[in-house]
Amino acid sequence: MSLLRNLANGLRSLFRREQVDRELDEELRAYQEMATEEKMKQGMSPKDALRAVRLERGSLEVTKELVRSAGWESFVETCWQDVRFGLRTLRKSPGFTTVAILTLALGIGANTAIFTMTNGLMLRTLPVRDPGRLVELLHQYPGEPAFNGFSWDAYQTISDGNHVFSDLIVAGMNFFTIRADKLQPQTVFGGGVGGTFFQALGVRPAVGRLIGPEDVHMGYHDPVAVVSWSFWKSRFDLDPGVIGKKIMIGDDPVTIVGVAQRGFYGLSYEAQQDIWWPISLGPSPELSFGLLGRLKPGVSPEQARAEMAVVFQAVVNAPDAGPFMRQMKLRVEPAGNGVTTPLSQMLSTQLTVLMATVGVLLLLACANLAGLLLARGASRQHEMAVRACLGAPRARLLRQTLTESLLLSLAGCAVGIFVAYFAAQGLIRVFASGRFILGAPVHFEALTNPDAHVLLFALAIALLTGLLCGAAPAMSASKTEPATALQRVSRIGESKSRRLFGKGLVASQVALSLVLMSSAALFVEYLSHLRNLNLGFERNHLLLVTLDFARSGYNAAQFSQLSQELVMRLDAIPGVSSATFSAVSPMEGPGAASFAFAEDHPEKRTQASVNYVAQAYFDTYGTPFLAGRDFSARDQDGSPVAIINETTARDCFGDENPIGRHITLSHITLTKGEKTFEVIGVVGDAKYNDLQQAAPPTIYANLLQQGYTGSEHSQLAIRTRIDPDGVASAVRQIEADALKDVPIVRIMTMSEQIDSSIVPQRLIAMLSAGFGALGALLAAIGLYGLLAYTVAGRTHEIGVRMALGAARTDVMRMVLRDALWMVCAGFASGAPLAFWGKRVAASLIPDLPVASPLPIVVAAAIMIAVGLLAAYLPARRAMCVDPMVALRYE
Amino acid sequence: MFLLVAKFMPDKPSDLVQGTLDMLILKTLALEPMHGYGISVRIEQISKGVFRLNAGSLFLAIQRLERDGLIDGEWKPTENNRRARYYTLTAKGRKRLDSETREWGRQVAAIGRILEAS
Repeated sequence: MSLLRNLANGLRSLFRREQVDRELDEELRAYQEMATEEKMKQGMSPKDALRAVRLERGSLEVTKELVRSAGWESFVETCWQDVRFGLRTLRKSPGFTTVAILTLALGIGANTAIFTMTNGLMLRTLPVRDPGRLVELLHQYPGEPAFNGFSWDAYQTISDGNHVFSDLIVAGMNFFTIRADKLQPQTVFGGGVGGTFFQALGVRPAVGRLIGPEDVHMGYHDPVAVVSWSFWKSRFDLDPGVIGKKIMIGDDPVTIVGVAQRGFYGLSYEAQQDIWWPISLGPSPELSFGLLGRLKPGVSPEQARAEMAVVFQAVVNAPDAGPFMRQMKLRVEPAGNGVTTPLSQMLSTQLTVLMATVGVLLLLACANLAGLLLARGASRQHEMAVRACLGAPRARLLRQTLTESLLLSLAGCAVGIFVAYFAAQGLIRVFASGRFILGAPVHFEALTNPDAHVLLFALAIALLTGLLCGAAPAMSASKTEPATALQRVSRIGESKSRRLFGKGLVASQVALSLVLMSSAALFVEYLSHLRNLNLGFERNHLLLVTLDFARSGYNAAQFSQLSQELVMRLDAIPGVSSATFSAVSPMEGPGAASFAFAEDHPEKRTQASVNYVAQAYFDTYGTPFLAGRDFSARDQDGSPVAIINETTARDCFGDENPIGRHITLSHITLTKGEKTFEVIGVVGDAKYNDLQQAAPPTIYANLLQQGYTGSEHSQLAIRTRIDPDGVASAVRQIEADALKDVPIVRIMTMSEQIDSSIVPQRLIAMLSAGFGALGALLAAIGLYGLLAYTVAGRTHEIGVRMALGAARTDVMRMVLRDALWMVCAGFASGAPLAFWGKRVAASLIPDLPVASPLPIVVAAAIMIAVGLLAAYLPARRAMCVDPMVALRYE
Repeated sequence: MFLLVAKFMPDKPSDLVQGTLDMLILKTLALEPMHGYGISVRIEQISKGVFRLNAGSLFLAIQRLERDGLIDGEWKPTENNRRARYYTLTAKGRKRLDSETREWGRQVAAIGRILEAS
């Protein structure tokens, strides 16, 4: 009640200032008149009476001021005054203001941009009902990464034994090509979902209806599908007529019955799903299903974990389960931020490192601005002294200076958010230049839209920055002793502690930018290390052509004949030494994964990558044969043969000779379907997925023997003796002539493909190099600003020195020595910090070349150069001081 | 608390005990609605000149009481045909006065007992 009344009264005096003032005036005047009349009744003259009243009761003006400044609204009013005054002073020195705002905008912008990515990939919860109660089920074989694919039988068993989840969400996701009238074919991520999928997630339709339990029982005679809002927008232009439209998913026709609510992209942000249909168990059932559970009210994740572990025993002890199955363990992980995906796994450490880097950058920007504000504060000592003399209390001066730094940081924040938005877009473009994660482009837009969290983050760091870099100058301004400041104003006095503080700021800037630059040098070195790693194949002079056989209609025999003809014609191009086909090429991404069993050891399984390759594959890529022979035309009609890499040979056969032995592959998703091969050769290890990891066990099967008819992205590799781009047009021509129905998806060199596989590493090297350069620039500005200011302050001293016979070079040396001292102090404090940072980075990213001292040496050299450069101009100005002018200036 | 009692009176006007000014004003207004000058005159009269208020502390207290909803202000003509702001006690103000008076009595009694004991 009284709070409301207080508020109303305060607001009234804020917004109806004049009326409130007039009333107060009238009331006080009446008071004074009554008191004066009283005195006059006692026989005083009007003049004496008024004087007596003033003496006894206090002056009207003071009373008015007292009453006015008592309410909370007067605080608001003086703050507003501070803001207006701050804006005016900032406008009066546009150079300083611009540098300060840009410095902060870079610091805040870089932080906000990286945070946008972190937020999108790691922190954002799924737009579904109560995401905190969702958990993901994963299965794990000891020593291997966890997988989230379950067989239908496993799902049934888990579903039957479930007492902890109110819903068990099942979805089988994969990539599909969608075709429809008047639409370009498009590859999308999507799949079959259980009948309760949307209901359990609490997703509503934007138009039409969603899939319900009744759809699953309808079978696959008249299948229905639901598309995402973004798919509806990009492909159908939000046309409500989309309901009832028939489209082809792969080769199956479906009818669209609804569009999911805006912003829903399935179970993770980065692997966005665009289409869903009821799980079908017809002729081509999904092989692998992801399982999510919604915890029942009152059930903790630990309880769910315990209960599910028991239920999973029934899965692994099924009569048809292999011996290795018994060693599988079930994991239950929180899934409120989305299911585990390769992208989030891949980027989380990189983002952590980048977050730390931009944090250092922001500190640097803070130190820089604090230095600028301090120097500016010193030149405003006179103004502060005058204000203190006129009666401004210390708290008010403190608040005024803090208001200015907060204004700067808020302006920096506004520009920074703008910078961050474009920076995040740029980062995405770099990511998009990478190889497709999971095989299809990721919709990064949803990851980088700044949401409330991002804006709050930017605002919070802006306020923190403003307080941090404003605190010291504000304290020093409020400590101004009016008398001394006014006396010494002609000499631009400078207290010792303040000068020391300024030097400390420059040293800390040098230290921070040393950290930034050494980490930049570290990552650049790391990148060049990655680019020179032995990959197990010859990376230069290799052209990769991706072909889409999906609609060629070839059978195995046609594919075999046409592909061999094409290879022969390509071999004949001048400059080409050999050509070959394969299902995947090295560094394109993980190939199909399988479990491999050596003939005599059915209980010991090895997780292996499988690739289907043609003859001359190893010659073309330059992977050496260690034993046995290559595939040949004779193999086509014989029993299945395979070539294994060194690691497979060691893992499966140990010291024994693998040639002539047999190896069995079974599908990774726990479904049956095994194949046995005779090993005919052993080749060197080659890396397929990750430059840094050791090559996985790899098994190569004969493309032509396996009835291969070409996939949507079959790989044609051409080894050249000249620049591979030089033969690209000839290859295009011949391919178009030889395989008329097979379009080329893309042509790139192996070096480009390798680069696209290390996008996160390239990105981190590029960004940290950029941040390092920025840091050096900021430190240079800080050093220059402070030195220029000190030299100006020492004009008198320099004049005296020169009048006493100091040479100009002595003066120059003195100023440069000062600068070098500050840089060296920065080194002394920055080097341990840089070493510590390297240690932390090494614990996050394996294979960092941390042992090398080169990065810190390079950084130190750059800082000395920058320091001397920044000191040169002020030093030259000092050298040119005319003793007479300097002394007369007094 | 903004208690600024006139200090430069030659004739010993005492400082008010912290926090008692509000109570005195409420008490004064409990008798009849009054304007600012009236309040200070009444307090001086009743206290026989021991307490003399200066305008600053009086009007600060009035503003505070009005914002707390303990008194209400209204413009009215005075007996000399001048306009002045008259203050009346609200129901809430009356309650506060009662409770403060009781509390004051308790404290005075307690302090008295302590002083007598020595």
